[in-house]
Amino acid sequence: MQIVTVLLLDMLFSGIAAYGFAAISHPPRRVLKFCALIAALGHVSRYCMINFLHWHLVAASLVGALVVGLLAIIIAPRLKCPPETFSYPSLLPMIPGIYAYRAVQALAMTLSTDGEEEFRHYFYLFESNGLITIFVVLAMVVGQMLPILIFPRISFSSTK
Amino acid sequence: MRISEFINGHEVSSTETASILCDECRLNLCSEFFAQYASYMLACGATCIRISKNLRRMAAAVGLKVDMIILSHHVTVVCTNQADGMSCQHTKRIAPAGVSFAINTRLSELSWKVAGHKVDIEEAQSIFYRIIKHKKVSEWRIMWLVVAANASFCYLFGGDPGAMAIVAVATLAGYTIKLLTLMRHWDAKIIWLICSFISAIIAAGLTYLPITSTPDWAIAASVLYLIPGIPYINSISDCIDAHYLSAIGRFIHACALTVCIAIGLTAGLVLANIGITV
Repeated sequence: MQIVTVLLLDMLFSGIAAYGFAAISHPPRRVLKFCALIAALGHVSRYCMINFLHWHLVAASLVGALVVGLLAIIIAPRLKCPPETFSYPSLLPMIPGIYAYRAVQALAMTLSTDGEEEFRHYFYLFESNGLITIFVVLAMVVGQMLPILIFPRISFSSTK
Repeated sequence: MRISEFINGHEVSSTETASILCDECRLNLCSEFFAQYASYMLACGATCIRISKNLRRMAAAVGLKVDMIILSHHVTVVCTNQADGMSCQHTKRIAPAGVSFAINTRLSELSWKVAGHKVDIEEAQSIFYRIIKHKKVSEWRIMWLVVAANASFCYLFGGDPGAMAIVAVATLAGYTIKLLTLMRHWDAKIIWLICSFISAIIAAGLTYLPITSTPDWAIAASVLYLIPGIPYINSISDCIDAHYLSAIGRFIHACALTVCIAIGLTAGLVLANIGITV
């Protein structure tokens, strides 16, 4: 029961995040609720892969983004919108913000170190967190792009 | 007396001259329209592959071939008449419009209408102007959605309700400054730097209150509303489609904004005396 609650909360908050960030990109109004739905399904699938299947964050993000991309391709022709309208905002809840923050924080700390060892420690934190951020973002983008490249006819004629 | 002229070294009759001039006018009109179309599609966040496909679709419907060169601030469109090889090019500055998927969608729809001969180029041009003049939803109304979205981000990172409240306050303050400075047409990099600093310092300051046990999560999420996600995604998409110039341009623009966020965040952390806790 507790797992179901956790999953539902994950879906709820990723849906709210996608809805809000979708609004920034001024999409057609009919699209917003579908962005929230796609983001919820994409994020919860990544959550399940990380927590239940113990996948690495990068691999789980790739598959989560693939789910987002596929759902966007399915919904886009029905609502006569480009698939990017759905997939871009739906990806945003997967942004590895905490890793990006730790990288920036560690970089800032290198400025106030005394010795070489302390500097190396913070620089290591900067490098490792920065690399995870870069690979997760790459996996997300490639994951959502793949369905567009595999199904170009559906992707580029969805507004017909 | 026979009225004749020499065009490209060939003697042509007045009727033919009129026809050639008419073709030239039409080529010029199409080329200018396509350049404007590409300029707005780029501004509203469309990928190069979509713009290129839309332009080719419309150009093929009027018997033209179209090529596009995208630079960081300008787009050049070259139209060639497939019948006689005559070509015309127009360069337009990328429109100062923000990202809008609604405009992207409606302009893509327009390309299909032209391709299906449901509208001619003159009609398409007037529809185009109606689309780009369409009023956007007020940014002040969107602000509340962004506040809720950023607080939700904090939850997804593992933040507690106290951290979510801190993020909501920091986002509200930062986003308000962003809208006020955007209205005064400040430079985007300065705006991003100021907003990230304000959000970070407010979030870092509020974490001293005993309302959260996850302060780092609150500070990390407080600046995420500024992340230029669409330019990053578009740059990789352009790279995959071999539009390298546009990809590099978009990537560097997004990186510049990210550096501004990092500088603002670092300044906020240093001022609030927040160190590594994780």
